[in-house]
Amino acid sequence: MRPGGCLLAGYLLTRCLLTGCLLSGCLLAMPAAAGTQYAPVVPGHPFRFPADLGSHPEFRTEWWYVTGWLMTEQGESLGFQITFFRSKPDIDANNPSAFSPRQLLVAHCALSDPKRGRLWQDQRIRRAGLNLADAAEGDTNVWIDTWSLRHAGQSYAAKIDADGFSFDLMLAETQAALINGQGGVSRKGPQPEASSYYYSLPHMRVAGTLSRNTAKTRVTGEAWFDHEWSSEYLDPEATGWDWIGVNFNDGAALMAFRIRSLHGEPRWAGGTLRGADGDMRVLEPADVDFHAGRRWISPRTGIAYPVEWTVRAGSHEISLRPLLDDQENDTRLSTGAIYWEGAVQAYERNSIVGRGYLELTGYGERLKLR
Amino acid sequence: MSRTGSYGIWRILLLAQLREQPGRFLVTVLALALGVALGSSVYLVNTSALNEFGLATKRLVGEADIVVRGPRDGFPEQLFVDLAHTPSVSALSPVLELEVALSDRKETLKVLGLDPFRAAVLQPAIMGDIGEAMFQLFDTDAIYLSSAAAQELKLKRGEQLRVTVGSTSKALRVIGILSQNTYSQSLGLMDIASAQWIFNALGRVNRIDMRLSPGTDVNSFRRDLGTKLPPGVLALAPQVERDRAVTVTKAYRVNLNMLALVALFTGAFLVFSTQSLSVLRRRRSLALLRALGVTRSQLRNALLGEGLALGVLGSLLGVVLGMIIAAAVLKFLTADLGNGQLRAAGASLRSAPLQTVAFFAIGVAVAGIGAWVPARNAARQPPARALKGGDGDFKAAARTGWRSGLAMLVLGSALAWLPPVGGLPLFGYAAIAALLLGAVLLVPTVTIQGLRLAPRTHRIVLDTAVSQLRENVSLSALSLASIIVSFSLMVAMAIMIHSFRISFDHWLGKLLPADMLLREPPGNDTAFLSKDDQAKLGTVTGIARAEFRRTLQVLLDPTRAPITLIARGMSEADTAAELPLIRSVSAKESPTPTAFISEALQDVYGYKIGDVLQIPLGGRNRAFLIAGVWRDYARLSGSVVVSRHAYTAATGDDSANEGSLWLNTGTDSDTVARMLRQTVGNGDALEITTSTALHERSLQIFDRAFAITYALEIIAVIIGLTGVSFAASSTALARRAEFGMLRHIGMLRRQIIGMLADEGVLTSTFGVVYGLGLGAALSLVLVYVINRQSFNWSIDFAVPVLPLVLLSVVLIGAAAVTAIWSGRAALSQDAVRAVREDW
Amino acid sequence: MIDPILQLEGLSKRYSKDRPAIFEDVDLTLRSGEYLAIMGESGVGKSTLLNLLAGLDTPDTGRVVLEGVDLTTLDDDATTRLRRRTVGFVFQAFHVLPYLSVEQNVALPLDLLGVAEPERGRRTQEMLTAVGIEALSQRHTRELSGGEVQRVAIARALVHRPRLVLADEPTGNLDARSAAQTLTLLRAQIKANAGAGILITHSRAAADTADRIVVLEARGLKALEAA
Repeated sequence: MRPGGCLLAGYLLTRCLLTGCLLSGCLLAMPAAAGTQYAPVVPGHPFRFPADLGSHPEFRTEWWYVTGWLMTEQGESLGFQITFFRSKPDIDANNPSAFSPRQLLVAHCALSDPKRGRLWQDQRIRRAGLNLADAAEGDTNVWIDTWSLRHAGQSYAAKIDADGFSFDLMLAETQAALINGQGGVSRKGPQPEASSYYYSLPHMRVAGTLSRNTAKTRVTGEAWFDHEWSSEYLDPEATGWDWIGVNFNDGAALMAFRIRSLHGEPRWAGGTLRGADGDMRVLEPADVDFHAGRRWISPRTGIAYPVEWTVRAGSHEISLRPLLDDQENDTRLSTGAIYWEGAVQAYERNSIVGRGYLELTGYGERLKLR
Repeated sequence: MSRTGSYGIWRILLLAQLREQPGRFLVTVLALALGVALGSSVYLVNTSALNEFGLATKRLVGEADIVVRGPRDGFPEQLFVDLAHTPSVSALSPVLELEVALSDRKETLKVLGLDPFRAAVLQPAIMGDIGEAMFQLFDTDAIYLSSAAAQELKLKRGEQLRVTVGSTSKALRVIGILSQNTYSQSLGLMDIASAQWIFNALGRVNRIDMRLSPGTDVNSFRRDLGTKLPPGVLALAPQVERDRAVTVTKAYRVNLNMLALVALFTGAFLVFSTQSLSVLRRRRSLALLRALGVTRSQLRNALLGEGLALGVLGSLLGVVLGMIIAAAVLKFLTADLGNGQLRAAGASLRSAPLQTVAFFAIGVAVAGIGAWVPARNAARQPPARALKGGDGDFKAAARTGWRSGLAMLVLGSALAWLPPVGGLPLFGYAAIAALLLGAVLLVPTVTIQGLRLAPRTHRIVLDTAVSQLRENVSLSALSLASIIVSFSLMVAMAIMIHSFRISFDHWLGKLLPADMLLREPPGNDTAFLSKDDQAKLGTVTGIARAEFRRTLQVLLDPTRAPITLIARGMSEADTAAELPLIRSVSAKESPTPTAFISEALQDVYGYKIGDVLQIPLGGRNRAFLIAGVWRDYARLSGSVVVSRHAYTAATGDDSANEGSLWLNTGTDSDTVARMLRQTVGNGDALEITTSTALHERSLQIFDRAFAITYALEIIAVIIGLTGVSFAASSTALARRAEFGMLRHIGMLRRQIIGMLADEGVLTSTFGVVYGLGLGAALSLVLVYVINRQSFNWSIDFAVPVLPLVLLSVVLIGAAAVTAIWSGRAALSQDAVRAVREDW
Repeated sequence: MIDPILQLEGLSKRYSKDRPAIFEDVDLTLRSGEYLAIMGESGVGKSTLLNLLAGLDTPDTGRVVLEGVDLTTLDDDATTRLRRRTVGFVFQAFHVLPYLSVEQNVALPLDLLGVAEPERGRRTQEMLTAVGIEALSQRHTRELSGGEVQRVAIARALVHRPRLVLADEPTGNLDARSAAQTLTLLRAQIKANAGAGILITHSRAAADTADRIVVLEARGLKALEAA
């Protein structure tokens, strides 16, 4: 789940910008001179696991994206996010150098900590190779230096040793994979070629340890895992998007996104809803509505983000309230990107029905797509 | 005199002095200004350059705690991977740093091949400036230039830069230009993968910048790391890189400062002689002041004040002049003061308020020291005797100087034997100062003894000149001192430079036996001639014999500049035969390959013949037996010569970057050069020259380098001469009454002038002879101590006889002319009034 | 030998054109053996007159005839040569060279005239003996008293037997006793030399040692009325 389709690259851009942003420049500024051929996203190729859990290096971009809620031993509620991106730059593939940037890897992690009042976050960007960073094929195994996300058995191990905080988490699958879009092909815009391969693993059970500065604590929680890959360019009409992934308390799962045009109107929308009973429904643009509610104005950037929403997705109409207002990712100094991504609670008729993550991009200046 | 009470005494004295002798006043001020200006401008230029260089180094090293450095051809990149897995390393960045040969110009360009993502952590300033464009660096042919490089190469974004690798030319594309603020020096940045591929260095890097986790003991980590690195690869503190730059220019800087000291020294003497003469001249007025109730200390302070006033004016002027000179040098020349060792382009003048004040203070202090002795002597004069006239006390005082003079000579001779301090010949300079001072102190005694030897002509008029000099020995000594100081320094410099030039000339002849020479751009890491190229070049029509050499930089000691390894001569016997050896032993039986070290390796590193020298080559230490010491004027930081056979055996590298060519008789060198260029891919960038032309050009460069030294020395001598002329005119004025009497009793005007000329010739001949002797002594210190300790090479002592004779004659003539000129001025007043004048 | 030694005819001198003459119409004839004193008030031009008649200065009008030669027709060198041979000077401020010995100072005029040793030494010794300082001959003049120095000066003025001795206030810097001795010596030496002498002084007592006294006034020389 992630806004896919034509926005894929742009989406990555923001994610990437948020993580370190450099990738955007790479993807969009890279001249096509080398003429690298990227694999297209075409329907009719059902996922084969575990092969499709691994990297797809022939596609332009790919990510493994974990967001979720944690509860400490002391009863603190926290949000967390761990992301690995892979990107294949358009370069001369003949360079035999071990340093040749055949693939770039970006990792970003953040911790939403109400006590701190704002995010902990860190990011890394590396070229793949020399065994120092890579995304393996065949099964989920991505790493940058000591940061890693690895699949083993029914579980994923996420280890992040970031600036001021660290995660050492086990994420266990509790449900079958949620295949987004039509047989895993998720459309991101009016043009049919703007699509991605996309599956999600909702309701992952999380257990492990979390360190903030030197304070270490055991945590448990529930997460949402996305794996998505594509080769498409960003839709030039897009200015930003809104995305949610919600684990309902009853076992249902919802992914929904909306892409906004230059004038702020919805341009495309979509999603997947799986009921507690396992009943799958692919959401078409007409099935998804995002209504902005309360706004929070960032004291640092002055940007107003709608941090409360009412979202209609198929049969569900839920309201979203943030774990804390300030979950703004400000990476202007290094990348120029500012966006909001954070833990939210989902309400139906004033009672909590689930928890998830909300991502809001394009509320500051228009994304610079050079 | 009645105004004494209402004005300060010194103001009256000073104003009177100024009014009466504006010329002397001006020259004294100018001499001081010159010394201060020279000293402060050298300091400012150097500080600015070092600052600029330091900033640049800092930017390049960035926030690294440790820099791991290897030789030019680097070390396997696996070392980087291993280090990346080392605990407590928080960030590291692999670099391939090369001086890249450019295809269409002789200069090289420093290129850093790096991983932008990793460099962004350690060099945030540079990578931040590149920003998202760093992704474009992934293109294999992409290079980012600093603005200095773009200016030098006249390249704009999007344009092509051609580089030479081996003998092949490759095109790079300029994808962007760093702002001047980010990095002010010449630099190119590439992705490390592209750099490895383009520069044929796959699998190798030669530098790794490391930052350690907070709390790690950097020094012990670095020492520990150092022991684990392969030979030739060093773990350095970033400071070492900056310090090395400072060391490189140290010797040169000290020599320029030496010139500034000479100017200041001369200035001090000028103040001393000016003040002494003016005190003598005014002794009766001063005695009158004392008689009228001015206390001894008031008088002394007043006279000291005069000297200090000269010092203040001169130093002010000097400080301002120094800034102007420094700004001009930085703007129009390179910041390394023209010696090419410190490439710090575009350094901006750094204001140094504290040091400026210090230079000002030095100037004032020098003037004060110069004024102190005459002021004290004048104040000590019993007023009654001074009123009556006569100068006997000065004579007595002058005679007492010989003991201290001898002591200083002994001290100076002893100091010359001491070793350098921190690579600087500080004791050598101290020896020079002591010898100068001692010689000056001895001037009165030697003058008296010398005049005793003057022939008696039994012509009273002629004897009068001698008697006059003998009588006024202190006056003569004063005027002599300034010329002796400046002339002897000039003689010493001239002998030193001449010796150096002769030795350099011989050295060039020995090293350039072939008809033609060719080489890749010096200092470059990328262009070379492969074995194939060498074979092709050797068979070009007209070439009888070709010999190739390989030179490369090797770091023996991380705190010193890299030395040059030269592989030349196919066999070890060839190698020995080709070198200007100073000492050697036969090592035919030795199983170890032999090496010939330059004197710098002997002096600085302490190697001796018979020692085994370990040279890190190809990632291993290779042992070489030191079989000889040779003289190398081309490589200041030292060099070692081994046979190509030994080099190739150790490294497998059979490439070359220099060659000597012998032509068949009657072959036109231009034609050969043209054919040579067509033979290899990068022929246009090859430097091809005839030995004769190179020889000539080297000597021209030599002469140009020392032109400024000569100019400054000549200025010093002119100032010294001015001192003599002041003394002469002052004496002549003081002797107006005497001349008047002589005119009364029937001496012709021209007889009097002739007498003055005799005196001038006598004085200056004495000064010149004394200066020649002293200069020769000083030149020994320059040649064998200061030169040796500054540059670590020997030169053969040689005296430029003809120039020195000519110079001596010119000086004596100039002194005679000066005497005549001042005599004329004194005689222009009529004899009638002169005989009536009492003071 | 030409007599009169010195003739002044209608001499006048002014410092500059727009100022009145210092003196006009000075006529004087001095014969061999004559010793003349010229008196006058300060600033009346006594020394100027002395310089005119020694050829050290040129008159505005009139002639100075020394030994039959009109000085106004000679150039500087010729005048100097004539003066070297003919004139001896005694100055108020002595003007002996401090760095030469007494003997050397006295021998100076002979040296200028090209008199060689041993003649020069003999004549110098004679002169030193004549003025009574032969014992001081190797001494330096700065070691001498004022009276002794002036004796050196007198010896120097007379050693080459000049026909004319010019003494300008020779006792001005001396005490009364030395002054009297100096004047006596000067007169004696002039007379012994059979030349002529002119003593310029403002002291009547000094003037009285001369044969006759004239007073310099703006309108010329006047013989001093007998008191």
